[in-house]
Amino acid sequence: MSSAQIEIQLIASLVAIACAIPGVFLVLRKMALISDAISHSILPGLVIGFFITHDLNSPLLILMGALSGILTVVLVEYIQKTKLVKEDTAIGLVFPAMFSIGVLLIAKNANDVHLDVDAVLLGELAFAPFDRLIVNGIDIGPKSLWIIGTILLITLSLLVAFFKELKVSTFDAGLATSLGFSPIVIHYGLMSIASVTTVGAFDAVGAILVVALMIAPAATAYLLTNDLKIMLVFSVIFGVFSAISGYWLAHWLDASISGSMITMLGFVFFLVYLFAPNRGFISVLYRNKQQQKEVQLLTFLLHLNNHTEENERHINHLNEHINWHKIKAQSIVDLAEKNNMIVINNQIIALTPKGKIFTEKAIDYIITNDDSKIESMKKDFFLFRG
Amino acid sequence: MEIKYAVTVDDLTVAYNYKPVLWDIDLAIPEGVLMAIVGPNGAGKSTLIKSILGIINPIAGSVSIYGKSYDKQRKLVAYVPQKGSVDWDFPTTALDVVKMGTYGSLGWVKRPGKAQKKAALEALEKVGMLAFKNRQISQLSGGQQQRVFLARALAQNASIYFMDEPFQGVDATTEITIINILKELRKAGKTVVVVHHDLQTVPEYFDWVTFLNVKKIATGPVKEIFNDDNLTKTYGINYKVSVQQ
Repeated sequence: MSSAQIEIQLIASLVAIACAIPGVFLVLRKMALISDAISHSILPGLVIGFFITHDLNSPLLILMGALSGILTVVLVEYIQKTKLVKEDTAIGLVFPAMFSIGVLLIAKNANDVHLDVDAVLLGELAFAPFDRLIVNGIDIGPKSLWIIGTILLITLSLLVAFFKELKVSTFDAGLATSLGFSPIVIHYGLMSIASVTTVGAFDAVGAILVVALMIAPAATAYLLTNDLKIMLVFSVIFGVFSAISGYWLAHWLDASISGSMITMLGFVFFLVYLFAPNRGFISVLYRNKQQQKEVQLLTFLLHLNNHTEENERHINHLNEHINWHKIKAQSIVDLAEKNNMIVINNQIIALTPKGKIFTEKAIDYIITNDDSKIESMKKDFFLFRG
Repeated sequence: MEIKYAVTVDDLTVAYNYKPVLWDIDLAIPEGVLMAIVGPNGAGKSTLIKSILGIINPIAGSVSIYGKSYDKQRKLVAYVPQKGSVDWDFPTTALDVVKMGTYGSLGWVKRPGKAQKKAALEALEKVGMLAFKNRQISQLSGGQQQRVFLARALAQNASIYFMDEPFQGVDATTEITIINILKELRKAGKTVVVVHHDLQTVPEYFDWVTFLNVKKIATGPVKEIFNDDNLTKTYGINYKVSVQQ
């Protein structure tokens, strides 16, 4: 690996971490689309910053970009408060307008500089190592590494300091207010961080990938955990993994780095969506199928429990009486027999003591919803896991 | 003996988009009562609680908690919002939600430690939810979620408790658990204010009642003012007749 390759992967990883952290809170606050709005509407701020300084690397550009991101949030909220349109419509109104102002400003005044629309949308990570930060004549690394590193450091310190406040105001804004933690301050703090991160990252990865890096890792982590801290850690891991594997995918395909990174983010989400242990597609499918089978078993056992007369319990009559197909009836009978819940004598089925206790406990639970007596049954049956 | 008031509300007016939801409310809640706020839908019951707690800004009027502004007294006050006001799919556990009740006493930046965890566990035990402390909150039943919310308020260790429809959609067991805890709080000298919907249980559960319908209709001891006259004034129909039908 050349040093440029290492630097590119390092920048991509830092960008991924810096995006994943605010991304988790945006996803939990159902504000994923706001990141899209911010990423597009920083453009006029950047252009105006450039007009003032005539320097693409001035910190003023980051400040102006972030300010126009926050302005977008304010405008969206203002339009939404009029109750004339809903939030998604308000977002759709504001950010294309902001972005197009930026496009017009570039076209009229900045055609001769490296600030074209393609670069804004897709970024160009491959060029990042060429733009060095030189202090007192010494090369101390790529500029974007320093920019995103600084932003990440600020984000991490704020996260550690205000984790409790972020959590309570995200979960229950009313309680946060009554406890004296202003959700408005937290909200705009988060929006500011999201804006600054977007500006700091988009030069390297472009406006569209910034959105993907914020939302996809958080959405993926959400499928895997019930703990906010672990969700943050998983998001960071997924972000960094997609960034690095995306880089090598691009290398292999000889294609756009940012495009390959987004592809990896989508791929990772898809895998987790399929295979996540509790909320994944396959797991839900399996659970539904099992539950269906358990309900059928219980229906069958209940029927046996309710009828002492032998003709009701004759194996040939079961099809008619419970109105099941023969195959289904057979599979349920097999299941009950395998679990020692029934015995079959001369084609007559009877509950075993174990089957009787099981049936009564299960019915008791379904009626009273009191799950203290069925703890032991939860391990084997999805039905009783609430 | 002079009555000591836990909460006083003066000339409170709240409007959404210039439509008044609460109109010139004067209300004094004596210390140590278990009070129901009753009134029809849209009467401003939740709004009244939220304006006392500073969650909604009134367009006029003032609120004081033991004679001082809410900002200075927020540690004396605990709040149980409506269960539907939060996203129960949030990645957190019952214990963690209850711990949030202790955040107010910590203030900004400082993180919860052993004392906060202990308070949270005690609160969970009081509402009979200790066994579920590590359960993800979406895995709890509606009644269990409501008990977690109550535990969170208990963990605040306040003097005044505001609860927004704590009996909404809970089973009988949870309702009994909750009302017993509320009665214990009153016994300990705390003041409890509950937005309540079930008029049948008012005399059994509460000793103080406020009738509200945009304006305050009446407030006082249940024994004296919980009558057909006030019910009719509040609900705008001949209450007695409609109940008999």
